[in-house]
Amino acid sequence: MEQNRSEQPVEAAFGFLTVVDAPSHGLFGGYLLVDLAGRPLEFHCTAPVKVSRAQQILYGATLQSHLHGRQIGAALLAEGTVTPELVLTDLESMLHVRPHTALPVALVTRAGAGAAAGSGAAGFAIGDVSISPHASDAGLEPLLREKLESLLAAVDLSEPFERIRAAIEEAQRH
Amino acid sequence: MDSQAQDSAVHSWRRGDLLLPTPRLLPRLDPRLVLPAALRLPIDVPRPAIARIELFDQPPAVSSFRFAQVSAPPARPPRAPRVAEVAAAASALPENSSSGGADPAAESTTPKRTRIAPPRDVVKLSERFFFLLQPDLESILESSRLEFPREPFPFQLDGMAFLVPRHGAVLADEMGLGKSMQAISSLRLLIRSGEARRVLVVCPKGLVSNWTRELADWAPELLVAVIEGDPQRRRWQWSLQDVPVKVANYEAVVRDRELVAELGLEFDLVVLDEAQRIKNRSSSTSEAIRSLHRKRSWALTGTPVENTAEDLVSIFEFVAPGHLNDRMSPRALGAAAADHVLRRTKDKVLKDMPPRMNRDERIELTAEQRETYRRAEEEGVLRLSQLGQEATIQNVFELVLRLKQICNFDTATGESAKLDCLEAELEEIQASGKKSLVFSQWVETIGRLDKRLSRFGALEYHGGMSTVARDEAIRKFKHDKQHNVLLLSYGAGAVGLNLQFSQYVFLFDRWWNPAIEDQAINRAHRIGAVGAVTVTRYLSADTIEERIDEVLRKKRDLSELILSQAEAPAASGLTADDLFSLFKLAPPKRAAA
Repeated sequence: MEQNRSEQPVEAAFGFLTVVDAPSHGLFGGYLLVDLAGRPLEFHCTAPVKVSRAQQILYGATLQSHLHGRQIGAALLAEGTVTPELVLTDLESMLHVRPHTALPVALVTRAGAGAAAGSGAAGFAIGDVSISPHASDAGLEPLLREKLESLLAAVDLSEPFERIRAAIEEAQRH
Repeated sequence: MDSQAQDSAVHSWRRGDLLLPTPRLLPRLDPRLVLPAALRLPIDVPRPAIARIELFDQPPAVSSFRFAQVSAPPARPPRAPRVAEVAAAASALPENSSSGGADPAAESTTPKRTRIAPPRDVVKLSERFFFLLQPDLESILESSRLEFPREPFPFQLDGMAFLVPRHGAVLADEMGLGKSMQAISSLRLLIRSGEARRVLVVCPKGLVSNWTRELADWAPELLVAVIEGDPQRRRWQWSLQDVPVKVANYEAVVRDRELVAELGLEFDLVVLDEAQRIKNRSSSTSEAIRSLHRKRSWALTGTPVENTAEDLVSIFEFVAPGHLNDRMSPRALGAAAADHVLRRTKDKVLKDMPPRMNRDERIELTAEQRETYRRAEEEGVLRLSQLGQEATIQNVFELVLRLKQICNFDTATGESAKLDCLEAELEEIQASGKKSLVFSQWVETIGRLDKRLSRFGALEYHGGMSTVARDEAIRKFKHDKQHNVLLLSYGAGAVGLNLQFSQYVFLFDRWWNPAIEDQAINRAHRIGAVGAVTVTRYLSADTIEERIDEVLRKKRDLSELILSQAEAPAASGLTADDLFSLFKLAPPKRAAA
């Protein structure tokens, strides 16, 4: 498949945001935007972010939320040129990106894996995953569910994170 | 020193010095002595290092990749069942599938996800990302609204994931694994995504109707034009703009080479079926095929190396020109070809497929047949000996053919020990209501068999028949219980036919190359086979047939060796040396060359 296809207006898009910890390089952030058929529209990835021991001590318990949410997540979302209906993440710490974006953000967990305990709202089950929106998006739940139903026809909601991880692995080899 | 001077000295202290006013240190000293106002005692105190811990105040650099949308409509019909769900309901699948059909038992409850991996020759990171970030093939098929007559086997999805991203590919699956179905499904995906608009399928003449059938089964929405008829009609067919798939036989491509050039036809994809047809690079067929303007080149063949390693090099001149050359060792060839070739065998991917049982039946010639054979051989060998260095391969070949024909039928009396045996076996099979295929090298033999086997409703299928007559024979054999035996020539019947409802295969005489025999056998022993396939190979005892079999057995299978990147001998078929050795004759120098 090639990239030089005919351009078409995007009807609906969904974002998938995660971080991959590569021990030899650091943290890579990845943000994949897909259409309703699950096909990629955009992909953004960060340069690796290395965390020192001193930084770990200074930031303490706030390190992950700061790095994932404010630093990596916010930087990635700022690069998107397509506005998604919703940004999904498979890392609870990534929900901390929500104060830095106007987009609704929700955590995806495999059914039975336990819902978000921190900043996520109670959430709902859809397909074989649970969706926990950020607390500030709790009121959007019916709307988010409706939008995700349309995506679910083509995409297993936890699957695009595998693609992000594969792409980041490829970037490290390249 | 007055107190003002002392204060001044003290005030001029530098940081790091210990400065002591002398008068205060030595108050009783004679005032007439000239002493410095202060004692300067430098103390080297290093400045404390300041550790700076970087805070994360700058966002990391971000690389961005954007992909244009595919032309497939994003809206979808109600969710199609996933593989596992289909597997659960697979008992409803038709029993006889032509090219595919997943075994429900082979599926687990976890849906398989077939990824489209980027080919090795795609080097740009953005292009590699494009492939890596695609949904799995199962999801693409679901969301593309592509329905299949039968659920593809997992290995067939792997085959599609191999073909779709490649511009140059050889699908070299063993016969019977559904190469055409995989190619059709892949070209269907490319057409659906807008990446291909003009596809040409080139196949042997006898397989054109097979391809149109398979296209109708596996891509029913695609318009297909068959290039055939008089020149005016062919010009019109070649020129059709709104027909995405054209099917032409090799002869038509050769015949219309100039016409295709004149029309300026360019194809997004050319699929070559039975691609071993272009193994002779200097042939007009190979030249005409290679002259086709195309973006993607896929070759389908169960025998990429039919005789020598050069066969594969020739196919690659179509698939990826210049990628391989004749100077490469088999190991180097295998390594260079690896990313372009996908080869699977039934024993690896279809572990639950019904077994194939081989029987080599050694037939004693009748007394009269034996006498005719003995005379013919003695006379033939005597003549070859007399010719000495003048003997040609052609001379030897003619003798081999004559002896093989006698092994089939006594030329004087018409007796045939093989046919007696075949008749007896068919009677037994007839009683069980099962179907049999009988292969021979000669159309004449097929005609003689037909006469004796008419009570089994025998049907003929060979190159001497029209396409319509051959299709009719296949239809009757498939659907009419009165017709339980199909007599085929290796030339016409060894490739492309799906006859997996047959459970018995008889090789009435032997072909020169085991690969062709395998192709013949795999008409029955393929996906969808209804039960164990019994293959009976007749060998006339103490004759040329046994000697040929022995030579072929001793040869190693070069094809498999190259495909496993191992060292290999030069050939697997009969060479000139082999032919002469059949009669214990030394080949003349020119013949052996």
